[in-house]
Amino acid sequence: MSVGTADITNGSNYGSDIWRLLIVHRTELTYPDTVTTSYNEFRMQPSDEPGQAVLSSRMEIDPFEGVTSYLDYFGTRVASFDVHRAHRHLTVTATSTVETFPATAFGAGGYGAGTAHPDEMTWEQLVSSDCHDRYEEFLTPTHLTELNDELNGLSEQIRAQARNPSAAGREVCSLLKKSLKYEQGATGVHTSAVEAWTEKRGVCQDFSHLAIGMLRAMSIPTRYVSGYLHPDKDAEIGKTVIGQSHAWIEWFDGMWVPYDPTNASSPGHSHVVVGRGRDYRDVPPVKGVYAGPEASGNEVTVRVTRLR
Amino acid sequence: MADLFQDYPFGRAWDEMFSGPGVIRPAYESVHAALQTLSAADLKARADIMGRTFLDQGITFALGGVERPFPLDLIPRIVTAQEWKVVQTGVPQRVRALEAFLADCYGPGRIFEDGVVPRRLVTTSPHFHRQVAGMAHQDGARIVISGVDLIRDEHGAFRVLEDNVRVPSGVSYVLENRQAVSQVLSEAGGDSQIRSVAEYPGRLLAALRAVGPDNVSDPTVVVLTPGVYNSAYFEHTLLAREMGVELVEGRDLICRNNRVFVRTTGGEMPVHVIYRRLDDEFLDPMQFRLDSMLGSPGLINAARAGHLTIANAVGNGIADDKLVYTYVPDIIRYYLSEEPILLNVDTYRMEEPDHLEYALEHLAELVIKPVDGSGGKGIVIGSHADASTLSKARQAILENPRGWIAQREIALSTVPTLIGDKVRPRHVDLRPFAVNDGNSVWVLPGGLTRVALPEGELVVNSSQGGGSKDTWVLAAPESPRTEPDLEQQSSLPAQPEDMEPLVGWQESEAQSTGAFFFDPPVTPDDDGAGLRHQQGQQQQHRRAAATAGSPTALPDGQSFSSTPAGQ
Repeated sequence: MSVGTADITNGSNYGSDIWRLLIVHRTELTYPDTVTTSYNEFRMQPSDEPGQAVLSSRMEIDPFEGVTSYLDYFGTRVASFDVHRAHRHLTVTATSTVETFPATAFGAGGYGAGTAHPDEMTWEQLVSSDCHDRYEEFLTPTHLTELNDELNGLSEQIRAQARNPSAAGREVCSLLKKSLKYEQGATGVHTSAVEAWTEKRGVCQDFSHLAIGMLRAMSIPTRYVSGYLHPDKDAEIGKTVIGQSHAWIEWFDGMWVPYDPTNASSPGHSHVVVGRGRDYRDVPPVKGVYAGPEASGNEVTVRVTRLR
Repeated sequence: MADLFQDYPFGRAWDEMFSGPGVIRPAYESVHAALQTLSAADLKARADIMGRTFLDQGITFALGGVERPFPLDLIPRIVTAQEWKVVQTGVPQRVRALEAFLADCYGPGRIFEDGVVPRRLVTTSPHFHRQVAGMAHQDGARIVISGVDLIRDEHGAFRVLEDNVRVPSGVSYVLENRQAVSQVLSEAGGDSQIRSVAEYPGRLLAALRAVGPDNVSDPTVVVLTPGVYNSAYFEHTLLAREMGVELVEGRDLICRNNRVFVRTTGGEMPVHVIYRRLDDEFLDPMQFRLDSMLGSPGLINAARAGHLTIANAVGNGIADDKLVYTYVPDIIRYYLSEEPILLNVDTYRMEEPDHLEYALEHLAELVIKPVDGSGGKGIVIGSHADASTLSKARQAILENPRGWIAQREIALSTVPTLIGDKVRPRHVDLRPFAVNDGNSVWVLPGGLTRVALPEGELVVNSSQGGGSKDTWVLAAPESPRTEPDLEQQSSLPAQPEDMEPLVGWQESEAQSTGAFFFDPPVTPDDDGAGLRHQQGQQQQHRRAAATAGSPTALPDGQSFSSTPAGQ
């Protein structure tokens, strides 16, 4: 699931083009009454892969009774644990230090904003490649990414006019940015692409689900990326800011090309990958069950500090 | 007293007792002779005794919510030692190949890279459970228990109808039928050496213990049942009792830090191997259906950590998929470098254009089956279907080619069966049960012979009004008859009275609120105390719909799956 093969170990070649980010992701789940048993899986540790290097990563869990770590089917790191003592709060803090490299530092020639990578496929090449068998999972609509007639029609139009799959990808993201209002809290984690489109508003995962749905409708394998975002592309070193869990996409046209539909731009230094899947449901930051009464609240904060 | 067999009809099907009118196959001679001494009334009386005994012992299955005795015909079905060889070697071959296939599908995917089967065959299966990808510790023992359904075609050759490597059921009837028939038809055995079926529970327990976690020298085995409302509950109790292990429900189990315990009146006991009789989706609400109260959260991760063996392994359903079935001969050649011993039924894949074209042109001659169906549901037998049914089938295929296969109609073999006061041929199939201990695969000499009781009925299925027969596998003349004693330790499940029932599993989900725009830039407050607490996106909870013991979800794999054929 990696996105390139270029050597990224020699950071000095890129000098100050490397960012070092400290990410502190804290989640506090509050239960309405005392819970004696809960089972939990957290996906909030950045992935060590071309494009980014994890210098350190740790999780603090309270109450703590042990944790197991594994890579899931799509390659995302999962921290799994259960708690068997009475608790009304469960707090998990994931602290990671990650170096991110500019887009041009990896991949064959890079895939910076608007520029084609040399292996960029034509529509004909994409159809004739074997990627439709290999990436069936990233071509099939899920409940969260399936489209209605209107969106299918728009996809068809873009497909007819776009020079190649990459151009179609950028066109879709540009259309979404024009058509949808970014609005926090307007949608939830179970909101589907069609619901967000009907509301004409949403958050990053709605933009991503819509882009995924439309690109899959054009038979371009497309996957969901979960990660973090530093909100300032000219981030000041040493200053801690409120960051975010973020979501964007990758489409396949000979290689996996990342793109951020919420911002209609290529991800850069400020994006940190945690994991991937078919849609949000494959990479929820927090997933769990507990025995007890329904409801409660949760508080999530992501603090990001650019260290260099 | 030849009345019983008077006007015994012969059709296209292979008859197991007669090779022609009045010509009895040697294996059936003593049974035939015994029957000749009995009148229809005698037979009827004995059959009634059998039925009452079954009901008294609770040997029933639930159909439409009503407990009924599983109809048992007292005329046995006989398989000679020579014929059995094919089953005894062919079934293990299939199990070994499917073991390798499952390990590959949940591992490196070599067979896809090598272009032997398409990857999407597996990724589009609803039984491909990504939750267990990369879990290799059960390789070689993913299929501990299998029930590969066989039929005999018009030439008497065994063919595989489908593979059942999830939660195959029915072995309890094999054990009970033998006892019942030997009591009421004791004279029919004659000199023939009928191989014993009594060693099954002992073999099963030995295999379950053998596939336990590596670092446990004396593994504890339990049988996990969905509960008393499951149609195969009788079987779950019987197997637990015969093996001398606890019969537990999900609420009796607790997972802590990837280790599993069963709550008993004597405290918590560690559990290392679970012979589960519920479907994947109900096993672990943490990984599958949150609303299931039948399983226990944490089981999958306990297995992932290597502290628990789940038998059969989670995710085996991909091998039961009827489209995967069409590739099994290739799968055998690929992993084992052997030719298949058992034949498949000729099958057409609706995703392949030339197959589809052929099938649509010949619908009225084919059997159309949903790839994911069980219990005979959704099957269309072309030669028996009216125009409107065929047209609906055509449409269903065109809408979802992945969802259907088409097979050549085969006249299943027939065995004489008591119908009223006459003996008449009825179609049968055979489910031999195989037990894999990780090193070798042993096939129980016997198996469940299911009978389609209504005349001309083509779907042999307990849920479609089918019955069963005792299956006699004859020993080769020189081999000794084995009748090992069974240790029978009775062990009743402990009901933890001090345990409060779980209210229901709730979902915790938290997500911070999405993206920032580069334009305009966001300038958050960086004062530590002023850090805004982002309200997570609406956390959504689903209240567990099922309550403990509710009869709403009664999964038990492919219990008694279907056997359609033409005649």
